[in-house]
Amino acid sequence: MKNEKFIRLFLLFFFFLILFKTPVFAQSNYVLSYPSSMPGSLSYKIHFIYENVSRYWYFGDFGQFEYNLKLADKYLVEAKTLFEYKQYLLGYKALKKSDQYFINILPNLIRAGKNGKNTFQKKAVLNEASQKHIEILREIENRVPSSFIWEPEKSTPTSLDLKKAFSESIHFREKDI
Amino acid sequence: MKKIIIPLYGAFLLLFSIFSYAFVDPNLSYLKDFYSDFAFSNRLLTTIFYAFSIVIFFVFYSVFIYLGVKKKLSFKDVFVLLGITIGILFFSYPAMLSYDIFNYIATSKVYFFYQENPYVVMPFEFIGDPLLSFTHAANKIALYGPLWIFLTGIPYFLGFGNFIITLFSFKFFIAIFYLGTISLIWKMSKNIIPVILFSLNPLVVIETLISGHNDIVMIFFVLLSFFLLTKKKVFFAVLFFILSILIKYSTILLLPVFLYAIWKIAEKKEINWKTIFYFSSLLMYIAFLLSPIREEIYPWYAIWFIPFAFLVPDKKILLYTSITFSFSLLLRYTPYMLTGTYAGQTPFIKEIVSFIPPVLVFIYYYGLKKKI
Repeated sequence: MKNEKFIRLFLLFFFFLILFKTPVFAQSNYVLSYPSSMPGSLSYKIHFIYENVSRYWYFGDFGQFEYNLKLADKYLVEAKTLFEYKQYLLGYKALKKSDQYFINILPNLIRAGKNGKNTFQKKAVLNEASQKHIEILREIENRVPSSFIWEPEKSTPTSLDLKKAFSESIHFREKDI
Repeated sequence: MKKIIIPLYGAFLLLFSIFSYAFVDPNLSYLKDFYSDFAFSNRLLTTIFYAFSIVIFFVFYSVFIYLGVKKKLSFKDVFVLLGITIGILFFSYPAMLSYDIFNYIATSKVYFFYQENPYVVMPFEFIGDPLLSFTHAANKIALYGPLWIFLTGIPYFLGFGNFIITLFSFKFFIAIFYLGTISLIWKMSKNIIPVILFSLNPLVVIETLISGHNDIVMIFFVLLSFFLLTKKKVFFAVLFFILSILIKYSTILLLPVFLYAIWKIAEKKEINWKTIFYFSSLLMYIAFLLSPIREEIYPWYAIWFIPFAFLVPDKKILLYTSITFSFSLLLRYTPYMLTGTYAGQTPFIKEIVSFIPPVLVFIYYYGLKKKI
Protein backbone atom coordinates (compact mmCIF):
# COMPACT_ATOMS: atom_id res chain seq x y z
CA MET A 1 0.00 0.00 0.00
CA LYS A 2 2.79 2.34 1.00
CA ASN A 3 4.65 1.43 -2.15
CA GLU A 4 1.61 2.19 -4.28
CA LYS A 5 1.35 5.67 -2.74
CA PHE A 6 4.98 6.30 -3.35
CA ILE A 7 4.73 5.25 -7.00
CA ARG A 8 1.69 7.51 -7.48
CA LEU A 9 3.53 10.48 -5.99
CA PHE A 10 6.58 9.68 -8.05
CA LEU A 11 4.57 9.55 -11.30
CA LEU A 12 2.74 12.75 -10.36
CA PHE A 13 6.04 14.49 -9.76
CA PHE A 14 7.29 13.44 -13.18
CA PHE A 15 4.04 14.48 -14.80
CA PHE A 16 4.40 18.01 -13.42
CA LEU A 17 8.09 18.05 -14.22
CA ILE A 18 7.35 17.30 -17.87
CA LEU A 19 4.35 19.64 -17.95
CA PHE A 20 6.09 22.72 -16.59
CA LYS A 21 9.50 22.12 -18.09
CA THR A 22 10.41 24.92 -20.48
CA PRO A 23 11.37 23.35 -23.78
CA VAL A 24 14.83 24.37 -24.98
CA PHE A 25 15.55 23.83 -28.63
CA ALA A 26 19.11 23.99 -29.79
CA GLN A 27 19.24 26.15 -32.88
CA SER A 28 22.78 25.17 -33.77
CA ASN A 29 25.03 22.21 -33.09
CA TYR A 30 28.00 24.53 -32.94
CA VAL A 31 29.62 24.49 -29.48
CA LEU A 32 31.28 27.58 -28.06
CA SER A 33 34.20 27.43 -25.68
CA TYR A 34 34.07 28.20 -21.96
CA PRO A 35 35.06 31.74 -21.04
CA SER A 36 38.78 32.06 -20.36
CA SER A 37 40.49 34.73 -18.25
CA MET A 38 38.77 38.11 -17.96
CA PRO A 39 40.13 41.64 -18.50
CA GLY A 40 42.13 42.98 -15.58
CA SER A 41 43.93 39.76 -14.72
CA LEU A 42 47.57 39.07 -15.53
CA SER A 43 46.70 35.89 -17.41
CA TYR A 44 44.43 37.97 -19.68
CA LYS A 45 47.41 40.09 -20.71
CA ILE A 46 49.47 36.95 -21.32
CA HIS A 47 46.62 35.49 -23.38
CA PHE A 48 46.47 38.71 -25.36
CA ILE A 49 50.18 38.53 -26.23
CA TYR A 50 49.79 34.83 -27.07
CA GLU A 51 46.89 35.62 -29.40
CA ASN A 52 48.89 38.19 -31.29
CA VAL A 53 51.91 35.92 -31.60
CA SER A 54 49.85 32.87 -32.58
CA ARG A 55 48.49 34.83 -35.56
CA TYR A 56 51.74 33.82 -37.32
CA TRP A 57 51.46 30.21 -36.20
CA TYR A 58 48.08 29.94 -37.89
CA PHE A 59 49.40 30.76 -41.34
CA GLY A 60 47.61 29.71 -44.53
CA ASP A 61 44.00 30.26 -45.58
CA PHE A 62 42.57 27.45 -43.46
CA GLY A 63 44.90 28.35 -40.61
CA GLN A 64 43.66 31.94 -40.62
CA PHE A 65 40.09 30.65 -40.84
CA GLU A 66 40.69 28.60 -37.67
CA TYR A 67 42.46 31.48 -35.94
CA ASN A 68 39.81 34.12 -36.63
CA LEU A 69 36.90 31.81 -35.86
CA LYS A 70 38.52 30.68 -32.61
CA LEU A 71 39.03 34.26 -31.45
CA ALA A 72 35.61 35.44 -32.66
CA ASP A 73 34.16 32.66 -30.47
CA LYS A 74 36.40 33.49 -27.55
CA TYR A 75 35.54 37.19 -27.50
CA LEU A 76 31.83 36.51 -27.97
CA VAL A 77 31.83 34.25 -24.90
CA GLU A 78 33.87 36.90 -23.06
CA ALA A 79 31.37 39.61 -24.05
CA LYS A 80 28.46 37.46 -22.91
CA THR A 81 30.04 36.85 -19.51
CA LEU A 82 30.92 40.52 -19.05
CA PHE A 83 27.43 41.69 -20.02
CA GLU A 84 25.97 39.19 -17.57
CA TYR A 85 28.06 40.82 -14.85
CA LYS A 86 26.96 44.27 -16.08
CA GLN A 87 30.50 45.17 -17.13
CA TYR A 88 29.10 46.99 -20.16
CA LEU A 89 32.20 48.84 -21.32
CA LEU A 90 34.41 45.73 -21.22
CA GLY A 91 31.62 43.65 -22.73
CA TYR A 92 31.20 46.19 -25.53
CA LYS A 93 34.94 46.09 -26.26
CA ALA A 94 34.95 42.29 -26.30
CA LEU A 95 31.96 42.31 -28.68
CA LYS A 96 33.78 44.68 -31.06
CA LYS A 97 36.84 42.39 -30.99
CA SER A 98 34.65 39.37 -31.73
CA ASP A 99 33.12 41.28 -34.67
CA GLN A 100 36.55 42.14 -36.04
CA TYR A 101 37.74 38.55 -35.93
CA PHE A 102 34.44 37.37 -37.41
CA ILE A 103 34.74 39.80 -40.34
CA ASN A 104 38.20 38.36 -41.09
CA ILE A 105 36.90 34.80 -41.50
CA LEU A 106 35.14 34.98 -44.86
CA PRO A 107 37.96 36.64 -46.88
CA ASN A 108 40.20 33.73 -45.85
CA LEU A 109 37.67 31.22 -47.13
CA ILE A 110 37.35 33.12 -50.41
CA ARG A 111 41.14 33.13 -50.73
CA ALA A 112 41.22 29.37 -49.97
CA GLY A 113 38.69 28.79 -52.74
CA LYS A 114 40.79 30.83 -55.15
CA ASN A 115 43.81 28.72 -54.15
CA GLY A 116 41.98 25.59 -55.24
CA LYS A 117 40.99 24.34 -51.78
CA ASN A 118 37.56 22.81 -51.29
CA THR A 119 35.84 25.09 -48.78
CA PHE A 120 32.53 23.26 -48.58
CA GLN A 121 33.10 21.93 -45.05
CA LYS A 122 34.54 25.19 -43.76
CA LYS A 123 31.55 27.12 -45.11
CA ALA A 124 29.24 24.73 -43.26
CA VAL A 125 31.23 25.33 -40.05
CA LEU A 126 31.04 29.09 -40.57
CA ASN A 127 27.31 28.83 -41.15
CA GLU A 128 26.84 26.89 -37.91
CA ALA A 129 29.06 29.37 -36.06
CA SER A 130 27.09 32.33 -37.43
CA GLN A 131 23.82 30.80 -36.26
CA LYS A 132 25.20 30.11 -32.81
CA HIS A 133 26.66 33.61 -32.55
CA ILE A 134 23.33 35.18 -33.54
CA GLU A 135 21.54 32.97 -31.00
CA ILE A 136 23.87 34.20 -28.24
CA LEU A 137 23.73 37.83 -29.38
CA ARG A 138 19.93 37.87 -29.37
CA GLU A 139 19.96 36.29 -25.92
CA ILE A 140 22.26 39.00 -24.49
CA GLU A 141 20.55 41.82 -26.41
CA ASN A 142 17.32 41.09 -24.52
CA ARG A 143 19.07 41.38 -21.16
CA VAL A 144 21.03 44.61 -21.59
CA PRO A 145 19.77 48.20 -21.89
CA SER A 146 19.73 49.74 -25.38
CA SER A 147 22.21 52.39 -24.30
CA PHE A 148 24.39 52.94 -21.30
CA ILE A 149 26.65 55.67 -19.96
CA TRP A 150 29.73 54.20 -18.38
CA GLU A 151 31.00 56.56 -15.71
CA PRO A 152 34.36 55.50 -14.34
CA GLU A 153 35.92 57.32 -11.41
CA LYS A 154 38.31 60.18 -12.28
CA SER A 155 37.69 59.75 -15.98
CA THR A 156 35.32 60.99 -18.67
CA PRO A 157 32.12 58.97 -19.11
CA THR A 158 31.59 56.81 -22.19
CA SER A 159 28.24 56.52 -23.90
CA LEU A 160 27.56 53.02 -25.21
CA ASP A 161 24.95 52.47 -27.89
CA LEU A 162 24.44 48.80 -27.10
CA LYS A 163 21.40 48.38 -29.34
CA LYS A 164 23.38 49.58 -32.35
CA ALA A 165 26.35 47.41 -31.36
CA PHE A 166 24.20 44.29 -31.18
CA SER A 167 22.37 44.97 -34.43
CA GLU A 168 25.73 45.51 -36.17
CA SER A 169 27.15 42.29 -34.71
CA ILE A 170 24.08 40.33 -35.81
CA HIS A 171 24.25 41.93 -39.25
CA PHE A 172 27.90 40.84 -39.76
CA ARG A 173 26.96 37.30 -38.89
CA GLU A 174 23.78 37.18 -40.92
CA LYS A 175 25.79 38.02 -44.02
CA ASP A 176 27.65 34.70 -43.68
CA ILE A 177 24.56 32.49 -43.44
CA MET B 1 80.29 -20.26 -47.39
CA LYS B 2 79.88 -16.53 -47.97
CA LYS B 3 79.98 -17.11 -51.75
CA ILE B 4 76.72 -19.01 -51.37
CA ILE B 5 75.16 -17.00 -48.58
CA ILE B 6 75.37 -13.58 -50.26
CA PRO B 7 73.51 -14.57 -53.47
CA LEU B 8 71.02 -16.55 -51.36
CA TYR B 9 70.41 -13.48 -49.21
CA GLY B 10 69.89 -11.39 -52.34
CA ALA B 11 67.39 -13.91 -53.70
CA PHE B 12 65.56 -13.96 -50.39
CA LEU B 13 65.34 -10.15 -50.30
CA LEU B 14 63.99 -10.16 -53.84
CA LEU B 15 61.28 -12.65 -52.83
CA PHE B 16 60.43 -10.61 -49.78
CA SER B 17 60.20 -7.44 -51.88
CA ILE B 18 57.81 -9.18 -54.27
CA PHE B 19 55.83 -10.44 -51.26
CA SER B 20 55.51 -6.86 -49.97
CA TYR B 21 53.32 -6.04 -52.99
CA ALA B 22 50.72 -8.53 -51.69
CA PHE B 23 49.84 -5.76 -49.22
CA VAL B 24 49.05 -3.04 -51.77
CA ASP B 25 46.11 -1.05 -50.44
CA PRO B 26 42.89 -1.42 -52.49
CA ASN B 27 42.41 2.37 -52.40
CA LEU B 28 45.90 3.12 -53.67
CA SER B 29 44.86 3.89 -57.22
CA TYR B 30 48.41 4.79 -58.23
CA LEU B 31 49.44 1.14 -57.81
CA LYS B 32 46.21 -0.48 -58.98
CA ASP B 33 48.13 -2.66 -61.43
CA PHE B 34 49.94 -4.24 -58.49
CA TYR B 35 46.84 -4.75 -56.36
CA SER B 36 45.99 -8.41 -55.88
CA ASP B 37 44.05 -8.46 -52.56
CA PHE B 38 46.26 -11.46 -51.68
CA ALA B 39 47.29 -10.36 -48.16
CA PHE B 40 43.71 -9.43 -47.24
CA SER B 41 41.94 -12.49 -48.62
CA ASN B 42 44.57 -15.11 -47.70
CA ARG B 43 45.33 -14.01 -44.17
CA LEU B 44 46.57 -17.35 -42.77
CA LEU B 45 48.87 -18.04 -45.69
CA THR B 46 50.19 -14.46 -45.64
CA THR B 47 50.87 -14.61 -41.89
CA ILE B 48 52.67 -17.95 -42.19
CA PHE B 49 54.74 -16.67 -45.11
CA TYR B 50 55.57 -13.45 -43.24
CA ALA B 51 56.52 -15.22 -39.98
CA PHE B 52 58.60 -17.74 -41.92
CA SER B 53 60.34 -14.91 -43.78
CA ILE B 54 61.21 -13.22 -40.48
CA VAL B 55 62.75 -16.47 -39.25
CA ILE B 56 64.77 -16.74 -42.49
CA PHE B 57 65.80 -13.09 -42.10
CA PHE B 58 67.18 -13.89 -38.64
CA VAL B 59 68.92 -17.04 -39.88
CA PHE B 60 70.81 -14.88 -42.40
CA TYR B 61 71.46 -12.28 -39.71
CA SER B 62 72.92 -14.92 -37.37
CA VAL B 63 75.12 -16.26 -40.15
CA PHE B 64 76.42 -12.76 -40.92
CA ILE B 65 77.17 -12.12 -37.24
CA TYR B 66 78.89 -15.52 -36.99
CA LEU B 67 80.98 -14.80 -40.10
CA GLY B 68 81.81 -11.36 -38.71
CA VAL B 69 82.91 -12.73 -35.34
CA LYS B 70 85.00 -15.39 -37.09
CA LYS B 71 86.54 -12.60 -39.20
CA LYS B 72 85.29 -14.29 -42.37
CA LEU B 73 83.28 -11.27 -43.44
CA SER B 74 85.41 -8.38 -44.67
CA PHE B 75 84.40 -4.75 -44.81
CA LYS B 76 84.07 -5.18 -48.57
CA ASP B 77 81.63 -8.08 -48.05
CA VAL B 78 79.53 -5.96 -45.69
CA PHE B 79 79.59 -3.21 -48.30
CA VAL B 80 78.32 -5.67 -50.95
CA LEU B 81 75.61 -6.91 -48.56
CA LEU B 82 74.52 -3.34 -47.89
CA GLY B 83 74.42 -2.60 -51.61
CA ILE B 84 72.25 -5.66 -52.22
CA THR B 85 69.97 -4.86 -49.28
CA ILE B 86 69.40 -1.23 -50.25
CA GLY B 87 69.26 -1.94 -53.98
CA ILE B 88 66.59 -4.61 -53.65
CA LEU B 89 64.50 -3.31 -50.75
CA PHE B 90 64.33 0.16 -52.27
CA PHE B 91 61.82 -1.26 -54.75
CA SER B 92 59.67 -2.96 -52.10
CA TYR B 93 56.17 -1.72 -51.30
CA PRO B 94 56.57 0.68 -48.34
CA ALA B 95 53.13 0.31 -46.77
CA MET B 96 53.46 -3.43 -46.30
CA LEU B 97 53.46 -3.14 -42.50
CA SER B 98 52.76 0.52 -41.76
CA TYR B 99 51.13 3.44 -43.52
CA ASP B 100 53.42 6.05 -42.00
CA ILE B 101 55.12 6.92 -45.27
CA PHE B 102 51.74 8.10 -46.60
CA ASN B 103 51.35 10.28 -43.52
CA TYR B 104 54.78 11.80 -44.13
CA ILE B 105 53.78 12.65 -47.71
CA ALA B 106 50.37 13.99 -46.64
CA THR B 107 51.90 16.21 -43.93
CA SER B 108 54.53 17.42 -46.35
CA LYS B 109 51.81 18.25 -48.87
CA VAL B 110 49.86 20.24 -46.24
CA TYR B 111 52.92 22.41 -45.68
CA PHE B 112 54.61 22.62 -49.07
CA PHE B 113 51.67 22.35 -51.45
CA TYR B 114 48.71 23.82 -49.56
CA GLN B 115 50.96 26.18 -47.55
CA GLU B 116 49.13 25.50 -44.32
CA ASN B 117 50.56 24.76 -40.90
CA PRO B 118 50.45 20.95 -40.46
CA TYR B 119 50.30 21.46 -36.68
CA VAL B 120 46.99 23.30 -37.14
CA VAL B 121 45.40 21.88 -40.27
CA MET B 122 44.89 18.15 -40.78
CA PRO B 123 45.29 16.48 -44.20
CA PHE B 124 41.65 15.37 -44.22
CA GLU B 125 40.54 19.02 -44.30
CA PHE B 126 41.54 19.10 -47.98
CA ILE B 127 38.45 17.45 -49.37
CA GLY B 128 39.04 15.69 -52.65
CA ASP B 129 42.78 15.26 -52.22
CA PRO B 130 43.68 11.87 -53.76
CA LEU B 131 45.98 11.03 -50.81
CA LEU B 132 42.99 10.85 -48.46
CA SER B 133 41.71 7.57 -49.87
CA PHE B 134 44.71 5.62 -48.55
CA THR B 135 46.32 7.81 -45.85
CA HIS B 136 45.33 6.24 -42.54
CA ALA B 137 46.09 9.07 -40.09
CA ALA B 138 44.75 11.93 -42.18
CA ASN B 139 42.64 13.03 -39.22
CA LYS B 140 45.66 13.98 -37.15
CA ILE B 141 47.79 17.10 -37.07
CA ALA B 142 51.54 16.61 -37.58
CA LEU B 143 52.98 14.19 -35.04
CA TYR B 144 56.66 14.79 -35.71
CA GLY B 145 59.11 17.57 -35.07
CA PRO B 146 59.34 20.67 -37.27
CA LEU B 147 62.75 19.71 -38.65
CA TRP B 148 61.29 16.50 -40.03
CA ILE B 149 58.52 18.42 -41.79
CA PHE B 150 61.07 20.85 -43.16
CA LEU B 151 63.35 18.04 -44.37
CA THR B 152 60.49 16.21 -46.10
CA GLY B 153 60.44 19.13 -48.52
CA ILE B 154 63.48 17.53 -50.21
CA PRO B 155 61.81 14.21 -51.20
CA TYR B 156 58.49 15.98 -51.72
CA PHE B 157 59.88 18.37 -54.33
CA LEU B 158 62.02 15.61 -55.86
CA GLY B 159 58.73 13.86 -56.62
CA PHE B 160 57.76 16.67 -59.04
CA GLY B 161 54.10 16.21 -58.13
CA ASN B 162 54.07 12.55 -59.16
CA PHE B 163 52.93 10.34 -56.28
CA ILE B 164 54.98 7.25 -57.19
CA ILE B 165 58.17 9.27 -57.65
CA THR B 166 57.45 11.09 -54.37
CA LEU B 167 56.92 7.76 -52.58
CA PHE B 168 60.24 6.39 -53.76
CA SER B 169 61.97 9.73 -53.15
CA PHE B 170 60.97 9.38 -49.50
CA LYS B 171 62.41 5.85 -49.45
CA PHE B 172 65.62 7.06 -51.07
CA PHE B 173 65.85 9.92 -48.59
CA ILE B 174 65.52 7.52 -45.65
CA ALA B 175 68.10 5.15 -47.20
CA ILE B 176 70.65 8.00 -47.20
CA PHE B 177 70.22 8.44 -43.44
CA TYR B 178 70.50 4.67 -42.99
CA LEU B 179 73.87 4.74 -44.75
CA GLY B 180 74.88 7.82 -42.75
CA THR B 181 74.04 6.06 -39.48
CA ILE B 182 76.06 2.97 -40.49
CA SER B 183 79.01 5.19 -41.37
CA LEU B 184 78.81 6.88 -37.93
CA ILE B 185 78.63 3.49 -36.17
CA TRP B 186 81.74 2.46 -38.05
CA LYS B 187 83.54 5.72 -37.24
CA MET B 188 82.68 5.48 -33.55
CA SER B 189 83.38 1.79 -33.06
CA LYS B 190 86.10 1.09 -35.65
CA ASN B 191 84.79 -2.45 -35.40
CA ILE B 192 82.92 -4.40 -38.04
CA ILE B 193 80.72 -6.25 -35.51
CA PRO B 194 78.55 -3.24 -34.49
CA VAL B 195 78.26 -2.39 -38.20
CA ILE B 196 77.00 -5.90 -39.04
CA LEU B 197 74.76 -5.98 -35.98
CA PHE B 198 73.08 -2.71 -36.92
CA SER B 199 73.10 -2.56 -40.69
CA LEU B 200 71.89 -6.12 -41.31
CA ASN B 201 69.48 -6.28 -38.39
CA PRO B 202 66.14 -7.40 -39.91
CA LEU B 203 64.09 -4.91 -37.88
CA VAL B 204 66.32 -2.00 -38.87
CA VAL B 205 66.33 -3.14 -42.49
CA ILE B 206 62.55 -3.70 -42.70
CA GLU B 207 61.48 -0.60 -40.79
CA THR B 208 63.97 1.66 -42.52
CA LEU B 209 64.41 0.38 -46.06
CA ILE B 210 60.92 -1.03 -46.60
CA SER B 211 58.61 1.08 -44.40
CA GLY B 212 60.76 4.22 -44.57
CA HIS B 213 60.32 5.28 -40.93
CA ASN B 214 61.91 8.55 -39.92
CA ASP B 215 63.37 7.19 -36.67
CA ILE B 216 66.63 6.59 -38.51
CA VAL B 217 66.87 10.33 -39.26
CA MET B 218 66.53 11.17 -35.55
CA ILE B 219 69.13 8.53 -34.67
CA PHE B 220 71.50 9.75 -37.38
CA PHE B 221 71.49 13.27 -35.94
CA VAL B 222 71.98 12.11 -32.36
CA LEU B 223 74.82 9.77 -33.33
CA LEU B 224 76.38 12.59 -35.32
CA SER B 225 76.10 14.72 -32.23
CA PHE B 226 77.89 12.07 -30.11
CA PHE B 227 80.49 11.62 -32.85
CA LEU B 228 81.17 15.37 -32.81
CA LEU B 229 81.56 15.17 -29.05
CA THR B 230 84.23 12.50 -29.50
CA LYS B 231 86.02 15.10 -31.64
CA LYS B 232 85.42 17.75 -28.90
CA LYS B 233 83.33 19.88 -31.29
CA VAL B 234 80.83 20.88 -28.62
CA PHE B 235 78.99 23.63 -30.54
CA PHE B 236 78.11 21.43 -33.51
CA ALA B 237 77.38 18.53 -31.17
CA VAL B 238 74.79 20.64 -29.33
CA LEU B 239 73.37 21.81 -32.66
CA PHE B 240 72.91 18.29 -34.01
CA PHE B 241 71.53 17.07 -30.69
CA ILE B 242 68.83 19.75 -30.90
CA LEU B 243 68.20 18.86 -34.55
CA SER B 244 67.69 15.24 -33.52
CA ILE B 245 65.08 16.26 -30.94
CA LEU B 246 63.38 18.37 -33.59
CA ILE B 247 62.87 15.27 -35.73
CA LYS B 248 60.90 13.11 -33.31
CA TYR B 249 61.44 14.36 -29.73
CA SER B 250 62.40 11.00 -28.16
CA THR B 251 66.13 11.74 -28.05
CA ILE B 252 65.42 14.44 -25.46
CA LEU B 253 65.73 11.60 -22.94
CA LEU B 254 69.43 11.41 -23.80
CA LEU B 255 69.96 14.90 -22.40
CA PRO B 256 71.48 13.74 -19.05
CA VAL B 257 74.04 11.56 -20.83
CA PHE B 258 74.76 14.28 -23.36
CA LEU B 259 75.28 16.94 -20.66
CA TYR B 260 77.47 14.53 -18.69
CA ALA B 261 79.71 14.06 -21.76
CA ILE B 262 79.91 17.85 -22.27
CA TRP B 263 80.79 18.31 -18.61
CA LYS B 264 83.56 15.73 -18.95
CA ILE B 265 84.91 17.59 -21.98
CA ALA B 266 84.75 20.92 -20.13
CA GLU B 267 86.63 19.36 -17.21
CA LYS B 268 89.14 17.92 -19.71
CA LYS B 269 88.51 14.47 -18.32
CA GLU B 270 88.65 11.20 -20.19
CA ILE B 271 85.25 9.97 -21.44
CA ASN B 272 84.39 6.30 -21.38
CA TRP B 273 82.30 6.21 -24.55
CA LYS B 274 81.17 2.65 -23.94
CA THR B 275 79.54 3.81 -20.71
CA ILE B 276 77.95 6.73 -22.57
CA PHE B 277 76.49 4.40 -25.21
CA TYR B 278 75.42 1.89 -22.58
CA PHE B 279 73.43 4.50 -20.65
CA SER B 280 72.13 6.03 -23.89
CA SER B 281 70.77 2.63 -24.81
CA LEU B 282 69.11 2.26 -21.40
CA LEU B 283 67.53 5.72 -21.69
CA MET B 284 66.25 4.94 -25.15
CA TYR B 285 64.85 1.69 -23.75
CA ILE B 286 62.96 3.83 -21.22
CA ALA B 287 61.64 6.05 -24.04
CA PHE B 288 60.62 2.91 -25.92
CA LEU B 289 58.84 1.40 -22.90
CA LEU B 290 57.11 4.70 -22.12
CA SER B 291 55.71 5.05 -25.63
CA PRO B 292 52.34 3.43 -24.73
CA ILE B 293 51.62 6.62 -22.74
CA ARG B 294 51.32 8.43 -26.07
CA GLU B 295 49.96 5.64 -28.25
CA GLU B 296 51.45 2.15 -28.31
CA ILE B 297 54.78 0.45 -28.78
CA TYR B 298 55.46 0.26 -32.48
CA PRO B 299 58.14 -2.09 -33.81
CA TRP B 300 60.18 0.70 -35.39
CA TYR B 301 60.67 2.37 -31.99
CA ALA B 302 63.33 -0.29 -31.37
CA ILE B 303 65.55 1.76 -33.71
CA TRP B 304 65.88 4.20 -30.79
CA PHE B 305 67.92 1.84 -28.61
CA ILE B 306 69.35 -0.66 -31.11
CA PRO B 307 72.29 1.48 -32.40
CA PHE B 308 73.46 2.32 -28.87
CA ALA B 309 73.08 -1.28 -27.70
CA PHE B 310 75.11 -2.52 -30.67
CA LEU B 311 77.85 0.03 -30.05
CA VAL B 312 78.60 -1.87 -26.84
CA PRO B 313 78.33 -5.49 -28.02
CA ASP B 314 80.24 -6.72 -24.96
CA LYS B 315 77.21 -5.83 -22.81
CA LYS B 316 75.67 -9.21 -23.53
CA ILE B 317 72.36 -8.66 -21.76
CA LEU B 318 71.76 -5.52 -23.82
CA LEU B 319 72.88 -7.21 -27.01
CA TYR B 320 70.73 -10.32 -26.64
CA THR B 321 67.69 -8.43 -25.37
CA SER B 322 67.93 -6.01 -28.32
CA ILE B 323 68.27 -8.81 -30.87
CA THR B 324 65.34 -10.66 -29.29
CA PHE B 325 63.26 -7.48 -29.34
CA SER B 326 64.13 -7.07 -33.04
CA PHE B 327 62.68 -10.51 -33.64
CA SER B 328 59.64 -10.32 -31.38
CA LEU B 329 58.64 -6.82 -32.49
CA LEU B 330 58.60 -7.94 -36.10
CA LEU B 331 56.25 -10.72 -35.09
CA ARG B 332 54.02 -8.07 -33.45
CA TYR B 333 52.50 -7.55 -36.89
CA THR B 334 51.25 -11.12 -37.15
CA PRO B 335 48.10 -10.96 -34.93
CA TYR B 336 46.61 -8.17 -37.05
CA MET B 337 47.87 -9.75 -40.25
CA LEU B 338 46.01 -12.93 -39.30
CA THR B 339 42.78 -11.50 -37.87
CA GLY B 340 42.44 -8.24 -39.81
CA THR B 341 41.24 -6.46 -36.68
CA TYR B 342 42.84 -4.37 -33.97
CA ALA B 343 40.05 -5.28 -31.57
CA GLY B 344 39.33 -8.46 -29.60
CA GLN B 345 42.33 -10.53 -28.60
CA THR B 346 44.70 -8.83 -31.06
CA PRO B 347 46.16 -6.20 -28.65
CA PHE B 348 46.74 -8.82 -25.96
CA ILE B 349 48.43 -11.27 -28.34
CA LYS B 350 50.56 -8.43 -29.71
CA GLU B 351 51.89 -7.69 -26.22
CA ILE B 352 52.55 -11.37 -25.52
CA VAL B 353 54.40 -11.84 -28.81
CA SER B 354 56.42 -8.65 -28.32
CA PHE B 355 57.45 -9.01 -24.70
CA ILE B 356 57.62 -12.67 -23.70
CA PRO B 357 60.76 -13.54 -25.74
CA PRO B 358 62.84 -10.51 -24.60
CA VAL B 359 61.69 -10.93 -20.99
CA LEU B 360 62.75 -14.60 -21.07
CA VAL B 361 66.14 -13.65 -22.49
CA PHE B 362 66.51 -10.92 -19.88
CA ILE B 363 65.63 -13.31 -17.03
CA TYR B 364 68.02 -15.92 -18.41
CA TYR B 365 70.98 -13.56 -18.60
CA TYR B 366 70.25 -11.32 -15.65
CA GLY B 367 68.49 -13.62 -13.24
CA LEU B 368 70.31 -16.88 -13.83
CA LYS B 369 73.69 -16.15 -15.36
CA LYS B 370 74.17 -12.58 -14.07
CA LYS B 371 76.38 -11.89 -17.09
CA ILE B 372 76.07 -8.17 -17.57
